[in-house]
Amino acid sequence: MNAAGTLRRARAGLPGLLVLIALTAGLATLIIVAVRGHPPPSQAQQVQQIASGLHCPICKDLSVADSPAPLAQQIRQEIAQKVRAGESATQIRAGFVAAYGDSVLMSPPRQGVAGAVYYVPLVVLAVGLITAFALLRRWLRAPQPDPPQAGSPQLSAAQRRAVAKAVARLREEEPG
Amino acid sequence: MRRWITSRRAGLLAGVVAVVAVIVALLMTGLGRDPSVFASPLVGRTAPNFTLPQLDGPPVTLAKLRGQIVVINFWASWCTECQVEQAALDQTWQQFQDSGVVVIGVDFQDTVDAARGYVRTDAVTYPVVEDASSKTALAYGLRGVPETFVVNRSGRIVKHVIGPVDPVALASEINSMLGTRAQ
Repeated sequence: MNAAGTLRRARAGLPGLLVLIALTAGLATLIIVAVRGHPPPSQAQQVQQIASGLHCPICKDLSVADSPAPLAQQIRQEIAQKVRAGESATQIRAGFVAAYGDSVLMSPPRQGVAGAVYYVPLVVLAVGLITAFALLRRWLRAPQPDPPQAGSPQLSAAQRRAVAKAVARLREEEPG
Repeated sequence: MRRWITSRRAGLLAGVVAVVAVIVALLMTGLGRDPSVFASPLVGRTAPNFTLPQLDGPPVTLAKLRGQIVVINFWASWCTECQVEQAALDQTWQQFQDSGVVVIGVDFQDTVDAARGYVRTDAVTYPVVEDASSKTALAYGLRGVPETFVVNRSGRIVKHVIGPVDPVALASEINSMLGTRAQ
């Protein structure tokens, strides 16, 4: 085995090695992203996120993030200050709820009476499904009426009475 | 068997009627309420403290007024309804300031010059403070002006008025807090 042969073999194996390195790097990146999750949002993103969850108190159906009203601008500044001071989104929201009540939240809270908005439809759906299932089951189990046999059509009560009368008359007319 | 089925059907019908009645009652309650009027969750709770610069005088700190009845009125020079209630607030201040009642006007989303002009022209005699950043307004859950909060001697908010105050109702509230007969 000479040096030229060794070099040739090394060159032949190089593409495979590059592919292996690329795959390893890709896998490592995926693992790092999965372990670390998304990068933390910037302060501006946090402010935007919190503001979009709060109703502008003087507007109709506009969030603090979307409203151009001066009060909404001041609320955004207040949120930004609190974010910079290290308050969490939950603490900031709680502060506004303490002053304005639950109506300041764009989505009703999941606790208390307002939580019924989330749970009642599920309960109604469950009751409806159970009722439908019970009715379907009863309907499938109910005895089906015998199908009319060929040549013996279903007669009404009046028709039956007429037939009975005719038969009785014929019997009376029979000799002996 | 037939009787059982009949009673079962009657029970089912009664249940459906009850559910419909509850839903209708809830809707009726909601329809009877003015959606633009929000009950302040601060009533019954300690009034948020503030220290704000006075237009003409030293800063005012709410906590330092503990032991006195405080009427906090949020207003602005551009607010026409605030002009309507101006006389009532002045009258309250004149009538009760010697009985340990303080009226404070908190200027909201306004310029100092406009506020000074208003105070001078409309002869506002009670202390007026400037809430330039609206921090105090936000702490009080303000939705507009005028809004008024009455704070008792222990520092708790006992009344919240949206819109112009009724001078008779305000005097009656203060009198009952002072423990005297309404005049």
